[in-house]
Amino acid sequence: MTHPGVPFYCRPSDRLLKRWALTAFLVLVMACGTGAFAEDVSQPSNPPSSLPSTHLLGFAGARNNSKGTLSIEGDALQFKKNGKAAAVRVKIAAIHDLVLGDLSRQVGGVPVTLAKVAVPYSGGRAVSLFTHKKYDTLTLEYVDAEGGLHGAIFELKKGQAEGLRNELLDKGAPVSNAGNEPTKQTAEASSENK
Amino acid sequence: MKTSRPALFVMTTVLLTLAIAQPAPLSAESAAQWTVQVSKVNPGAVGLSRSFQVAIYENLLHEVSKMNRFKEVLRDGDQKAANAPDLLLLKTVVEKYTAGSETRRAVTTVTGATKLTVHTQLSTPDGKIILERTVHGNVRFMGSNLRATHNLVRNIAKTIKKSSLPKPPSSVVTKAMNSTTSDDVVVVESP
Repeated sequence: MTHPGVPFYCRPSDRLLKRWALTAFLVLVMACGTGAFAEDVSQPSNPPSSLPSTHLLGFAGARNNSKGTLSIEGDALQFKKNGKAAAVRVKIAAIHDLVLGDLSRQVGGVPVTLAKVAVPYSGGRAVSLFTHKKYDTLTLEYVDAEGGLHGAIFELKKGQAEGLRNELLDKGAPVSNAGNEPTKQTAEASSENK
Repeated sequence: MKTSRPALFVMTTVLLTLAIAQPAPLSAESAAQWTVQVSKVNPGAVGLSRSFQVAIYENLLHEVSKMNRFKEVLRDGDQKAANAPDLLLLKTVVEKYTAGSETRRAVTTVTGATKLTVHTQLSTPDGKIILERTVHGNVRFMGSNLRATHNLVRNIAKTIKKSSLPKPPSSVVTKAMNSTTSDDVVVVESP
């Protein structure tokens, strides 16, 4: 199709139009994905005695960053990795301290990161604004049979850690004066404390 | 110029033999006798959250165990420390902390870094300082905020690896006993 009255540099390029359409489509797809991730926050939580969680580090015998179920079985707190029969247990009496916190992290893993990189004109950066999710963290300190101090961090869905902490408190687990974290790790403004 | 093959082979063999026969570094040999106890992280005057303190402590235990420079790595409060003959205490005090944001890092790349600065000290139970350093750890681009603790601990481990530790007292005594006769006086040097 030719436009004799319009100079060539004013005509919209077909390639450019296709690229914009592709970008818009990618952004739309990721925004939908993000919406699906964000839905989880408002979902009713499971009964506090058995919660899906991610073991970030420190629980003796469990692998770091493994997903599983955190539950209270009798007088012990146990973490059972998904698809594994054996569970790792710690007696509630051995727990020294329990602290709640929160963290915000980017979701979607490698596929979303690659998609963000693929978006032209650094559009992936804007997508990052929506592809993050807030979690609760449960930090606990406990001692082993020889008196050695252990620390463990679990990541739970937003709003679930408090129920578990209350249940542990009912079973006799101690909690420090600062039951909740003094500072939020997700501070959007970088503040330097000295 | 033409070099004969057998001569080249012999020369290479000699060089390799010399390289292998070199003694191991003295620091690694001496440190193998120490037992180290990792103390709980002291947050200092900084409002560092408990999860960060725990992450530093646990990562430190993991990294120090991986180094293979110590006979045993003990946790804070471990009863075995009372009977350990050559014990070193690894203390960590947080000096500075800048809370970052993973989202800000992902959006802007140049802001939102999580930064940690700690003062780490390796000392004997009676307070003699063996090693003292200020170490930094941060996460600037990819990764969660807790990754700063991992980077920090790797830097602490590198610092310990690079430094030469003195011989533990018990090994000095043993060596002195072996090298002297019963009439000689044994002088024990503290590290």
